[in-house]
Amino acid sequence: MQTATDSKPGAVVFDRRQVYRPFLERLNPIGSQNLLPDEIVAPDHDPRDTGEPPIHVAFANTAELTRGSQMALVGGIGSGKTTELLLTQKELSRHSDAVNIFVDMADYTDLSEISPGAILATAGIQLYRRLLKKAGSKKLPDAVGTAWAKLRELAFGKTKWIDPEAFDPHDDESGADLVPVEVPGVMKLRFPALRGQVVEILGQLLTIASPLLEDEAQLTLLVDGLDRLIRPELFREFAEQDLQALRGTKISVIIVAPLLFLYDKSRFLQDYFDPVKHIPAAAADPRTSTFLRQILERRGALDFMDRAEIATIAKYSGGALRDLLTLARSSAEYAYRDAEDRIGRGHVNAAIKQLGNRYLVGLGNTHRRLLRRLIGHGEFPIENSTARELLVNRQVLEYFKGGVDYFAVHPALTRILPKPA
Amino acid sequence: MTDFSATIAFGLIRRLAAAGTDTPSLYLLISDTGATRAIEADIAAEVQLQLGLGLRSLVAAEMRLDRLEEAFKRDPDRPVTLITLDHWLPKLVTALDRNVVSLTRGGAVLLLANQAIAERLLSAAPNLRNRLSDVLAIRPDEAFGGPMA
Repeated sequence: MQTATDSKPGAVVFDRRQVYRPFLERLNPIGSQNLLPDEIVAPDHDPRDTGEPPIHVAFANTAELTRGSQMALVGGIGSGKTTELLLTQKELSRHSDAVNIFVDMADYTDLSEISPGAILATAGIQLYRRLLKKAGSKKLPDAVGTAWAKLRELAFGKTKWIDPEAFDPHDDESGADLVPVEVPGVMKLRFPALRGQVVEILGQLLTIASPLLEDEAQLTLLVDGLDRLIRPELFREFAEQDLQALRGTKISVIIVAPLLFLYDKSRFLQDYFDPVKHIPAAAADPRTSTFLRQILERRGALDFMDRAEIATIAKYSGGALRDLLTLARSSAEYAYRDAEDRIGRGHVNAAIKQLGNRYLVGLGNTHRRLLRRLIGHGEFPIENSTARELLVNRQVLEYFKGGVDYFAVHPALTRILPKPA
Repeated sequence: MTDFSATIAFGLIRRLAAAGTDTPSLYLLISDTGATRAIEADIAAEVQLQLGLGLRSLVAAEMRLDRLEEAFKRDPDRPVTLITLDHWLPKLVTALDRNVVSLTRGGAVLLLANQAIAERLLSAAPNLRNRLSDVLAIRPDEAFGGPMA
């Protein structure tokens, strides 16, 4: 391929960047939201049950038939949860009255802080934006405008102007001589009581949503990003109040949740969600499935490498989609570095070694012992916190076959894991 | 030390040029502590030379947790951001980990750390680890063949 990069008439200069750049952009594992629809390969069945519809279809069906349902998508980092949410959003759009709100919570609030009400507030902000767009030059009902003003104040705070003379920061209006004493009631709540501010935000959200709900519109909130909290208890602290507040409304919720919920002893998932869907980190078995190879081919891999290289990349990805893209991308970068127009076996091997090294770094003796035990004896004590760490960091992958879950060390790591002395 | 691909600033920025600086990417660069300053200077020079752009350079110890959105903000004139992790700051690492999507949205992000901090980072920040485009051992230009003529 030759590309004109010189302004002199007739000068044609070979620019390898122009060959590889579009391919690298399509392989970017951290830009899946920017993919074109034909670059996404939609699964044709549930990853844990070939007889069931794919997750995005199951979610869409539930949201369409049972308004107000709450659904959870549980999976490891990089397992394709965002892609499933995007596919669900697309599926839901088949009905003209569907109002789908897709939010990555990290775009709206600092995930380092626990913020009850943040999900509701984000939903309210997005719904109001939709209503404004839909209304065009028409005026929205007064109640909606008032609710928006209150919600904005609750979400973003406000500045109060007070007389500095009258301001005493030590003045406690509740009475300086009184201390609170909690007297527990006999009724233990299955779900925690809603905080006042969350109730207030919910009220404004429902008022904003009222024109849509009165028209029987199908409202679905798709919440991404909270799986980055990793630990189930952090997710619970962040989301529980909001999820509870939305129960009984006609707004459906699909939320991604951390993988470790699957191994958590609390009943949080069962109490709040129906259905709960689980995406294993390995989207497909690289030895038997063509799904992984299709993903690379859909993104133009055959223009750069032979089928043998594609198969090797699929095998050493272990079935993890993000690693599949990372390996293909690294291979292309190695080929570019060597000034080659095609990706060869050496480039793929270098990329596998590099990925293996990424998984190797930071592993102590305890980690290595667990990995060797898994490789040698197939044992993996998931109740052990170090084992869970290996799972979260994808050094160990979860697979599902014939109704049985099992674990395996990531193949790129297996390849470079030093043998015990 | 884990055997990561070795590079110098020239090779690193050549990669960025191939992928395009608008493409979200996140690299972890591991260097010797004593070489940090020289590497920062090398990267700034290569960004200027190869991409014709300025480098946005941040130092972890000076980053404020309550002003992280400024670090995440996109700067069209300086789409490459270098964050030097000069100290182990667990709260900053947690914030970067949970907000990793915002971090990378602005373009290319380069995290520069010594081996010890890099290992702690990879263990403590699973989201960030997962989104790394690559991990590279980086050395100052001189280490590869003596001072440039």
